[in-house]
Amino acid sequence: MVADIKQRRLFLSSAVLQNWLNRVGPVLGLLLVIGIFSLLMDTPARFLSPNNLRIVLSQTVIVAIGAIGMTIIIISGGIDLAVGSTIALTGVITALGINDGLAPSVALLSGILVGGLVGVVNGLVITRLKVVPFIATLGMLGVARGVAKWMANQQTVNMPGTWLNELLVMFPNPPWLLVAPGVWIAIVLAVLAAIVLRNTVFGRRVFALGSNEAAARACGIATDRLKVWIYALAGLLFGLAGVMQMSRLRQGDPTVAAGSELDIIAAVVIGGGSLSGGEGSILGSMIGALIMAFLRNGCQQVGWPNYIQEIIIGAIIVVAVAIDRWRSAHA
Amino acid sequence: MRKCLLLFLLLLILVTSCLKNNSPSANGKKKFTIAVIPKGTTHEFWKSIHAGSNKAAQELSAQGTDIEVIWKGPLREDDREQQIQVVEGFAAQGVNGIVLAPLDNRALVRPVSDAHRAGVPTVIIDSGLDSNDIVSFVATDNRKGGTLAADRMGQLLNGKGKVLVLRYAEGSASTTEREEGFISQIKQKFPDIELVSTDQYAGATRDTAKRASENLLNRFGDEVQGIFTPNESSTAGMLLALQDIGKAGKVSFVGFDVSQTFIDALNANQLHGIVVQNPFNMGYLGVRTMVDSLLGKPVDKKIDTGVMLVTKENMSSPEVQALLHPPLDQYLK
Repeated sequence: MVADIKQRRLFLSSAVLQNWLNRVGPVLGLLLVIGIFSLLMDTPARFLSPNNLRIVLSQTVIVAIGAIGMTIIIISGGIDLAVGSTIALTGVITALGINDGLAPSVALLSGILVGGLVGVVNGLVITRLKVVPFIATLGMLGVARGVAKWMANQQTVNMPGTWLNELLVMFPNPPWLLVAPGVWIAIVLAVLAAIVLRNTVFGRRVFALGSNEAAARACGIATDRLKVWIYALAGLLFGLAGVMQMSRLRQGDPTVAAGSELDIIAAVVIGGGSLSGGEGSILGSMIGALIMAFLRNGCQQVGWPNYIQEIIIGAIIVVAVAIDRWRSAHA
Repeated sequence: MRKCLLLFLLLLILVTSCLKNNSPSANGKKKFTIAVIPKGTTHEFWKSIHAGSNKAAQELSAQGTDIEVIWKGPLREDDREQQIQVVEGFAAQGVNGIVLAPLDNRALVRPVSDAHRAGVPTVIIDSGLDSNDIVSFVATDNRKGGTLAADRMGQLLNGKGKVLVLRYAEGSASTTEREEGFISQIKQKFPDIELVSTDQYAGATRDTAKRASENLLNRFGDEVQGIFTPNESSTAGMLLALQDIGKAGKVSFVGFDVSQTFIDALNANQLHGIVVQNPFNMGYLGVRTMVDSLLGKPVDKKIDTGVMLVTKENMSSPEVQALLHPPLDQYLK
């Protein structure tokens, strides 16, 4: 009896430890990256300065907002390869909207809604036409990119300056914001998404869907409808990421963000998301996005060539997932 | 089997009918179809090349040689594979000549040689190609452009200070020559100017350039007095980054190429000189050289299309105005 209790306590504490490790694993990774670069840098004070933090945060916003949507999709057992194209498309749409004399807020909204529309189409293709998400969104990757180039008439779309251009500036106005407004938007959205995933029926269903779709359906969850909602919701976020991209470049560029879907997926995976579904956390994905941004920033300031940074990011993705596998095997 | 045969016949008819389009037209006038392949289509630079080649086509057509210009490029500026496919496509389609701005001085050698063997000659514009199978190389003297930028920088800094060079992209011959021209001129003529960073690349787009600029400025921003960037996207990215941190106008910034944003920045003293090529002339001479060669006239192996330094002071001169505002609308509609 006593031994049993002891056993149980041991088990409990190891489970707590496990849980704790899961949480802080990515954070440790981030601190490690920052620490290593501070040691390598001949001017660590500059690397660790608030200004550099502002730079990195602004650079992370697009990937971070994309990663919020991608985390929800990946937890549900899906994938979206069309993010980069959606970002380009919605950026172009917003820029065109401003050029057509729409109020910036309306243009912003139209960009976001177009992103949502792309998501709805993805969801319908996946559920109605029974095309697996990988293929459905691979198709959308081409379609959305093509439509973006078409709408933009194969040129970048320059537009007059509006407050949308201020979303990702380094020194925000008013200054008490400390970091760019876009960074705050990303943080608020991340917190909201984390709460939704953890504490709402919708969130629990997303996890259930990704853990075991058949079981979820047997429990009475309308899985098809849920999937369309998930892709639509993520699409809205990708649309916002597109507006952020436009804000950063002060123009709608139909060729921008090619390949950023891989950055976004990498952020989710580094943060503990599992491509087989049912696992993942918003916090982890945000940390994953920050790790990559700090790597890029640090490599550049140390003066390393781009290829080293690509090798390191590639290795980190594999190591992060390997550690994850090892942990779950020993759980 | 029969289906295959039928399909083959259909294809044959299709191909021959395509080829027919290129033969001399009925009224005895010569007709040439010329494919102009830029590095990308989104930069304003390429619009000028497009307009220039259209001008050449219109002039030549008026003189009795019917010219059709087909404009097609890879949409992304760094997609070599796509550009190779475009060249191969035109060679297979059987155009009379190709005017090409190669994305890479090596990667495009094979498709250009293949086209040469298939009887389609190529004129290279803008950026060099390591090949002998070309008719002519029509381009800016990029080294001279870099040298002009260095002279301006030396003048701005009174011959001493720290300067940062943000390179464009690995493997791009034209920009590498500008960077080397700049660096060697600084080293020779202005020994008191120190080059603090010359080994970082901006990458293909404004976005990558802005990111690289922000990172570099954080590292070196407080110590440098001068910055040089070798093309439109790197200059635009650096300008955005400088504006964002409020340093625009506080460092001497010399860029390359032109766009409306840069002209505004020159007026606002945020940019202190841009080296401007003459893309309109490049597109024009590219097509003219191609047609001259097709008509059997001798052409030079290397043709310089001109380069000059534009500053706030000389900006309103008629010479510069003509360069800054090529008649795009006239030839692109």
